[in-house]
Amino acid sequence: MSAGAIATDAPRGEPPLPVAHQFDDAAQQADAASLGMWLFLATEILFFGVLFFAYAVARARFPDAFAAASRHTNLLLGTTNTAVLLTSSFTMALAVHAAGARRMRAAALLLTLTAAIGVAFAAIKLTEYALDYRGHLVPVVNFAFDPRYAQGALLFFWLYFVTTGAHLVHLSIGVAIALTFAWRCARRAPGRLPEQVETAGLYWHFVDLVWIFLYPCLYLVART
Amino acid sequence: MKLPRPYVFTWLALLTLLAMTTGSAFVPLGRFNVVVNLAIALVKALLVVFVFMHVRRGSPMIRVFAVAGVLWLCLLAGLSLTDLATRG
Repeated sequence: MSAGAIATDAPRGEPPLPVAHQFDDAAQQADAASLGMWLFLATEILFFGVLFFAYAVARARFPDAFAAASRHTNLLLGTTNTAVLLTSSFTMALAVHAAGARRMRAAALLLTLTAAIGVAFAAIKLTEYALDYRGHLVPVVNFAFDPRYAQGALLFFWLYFVTTGAHLVHLSIGVAIALTFAWRCARRAPGRLPEQVETAGLYWHFVDLVWIFLYPCLYLVART
Repeated sequence: MKLPRPYVFTWLALLTLLAMTTGSAFVPLGRFNVVVNLAIALVKALLVVFVFMHVRRGSPMIRVFAVAGVLWLCLLAGLSLTDLATRG
């Protein structure tokens, strides 16, 4: 197997990574760990993909209503949150890098920072939900919209809450994972932590990927 | 700790692309607004996948798995469209 996705050769003077008996070497073991996470992410692509497909079909059917509805989303908070999440992916990439270099204290700090930025994202998102509620945009609860567009706009906001809600659940799980590994990095010898932090990073970046596509679909439909 | 440069550049590129996509949304381009927005989203996604998710230096097997997810989605969406597109 080719070179692993993470630095699997311990720096000089450090003990090598423990390798489970079913693997030839540490590189193969690290590859297998990443591969497992990628397999899970492939199922996640299908999970979110079907929502994007529903969005595309509904938008093709109700283009004007989707434009009108999108103008009621909060562009400032949505854009801020996109920047926040992209930054969290950056700090997560640094955490994975630090763990790969066996700098476990730095990795613990960066994972905690990533989780904190994730919490900031969630706080902004919940603020936005509160504003959506005040704007009478929550389906079933208090939805009220220009009757010309009400049918399509209702679909838009169903998709808005289901996609951002599912995203928020994924993000919360990511925060829990980041904090768990921050705790382990701070307290334990590296062991298999470098490859575990790598898989946690893959999951975190995937959550970022989903948002990268949600942002233009929800917030930028018709701003001109 | 020295900051790994590729990550810093990727982060800056992602924020620049975000500014571009938000800015482009205010320029009236008609149908091309959605094209520009999706193209920029795709570039951002590829940056994250190749640099942050290490697909650039990952094993070929990981690339196959990553592509397989997208491929299945395209298959399912494509087959669903054959139904939607041919309904009376």
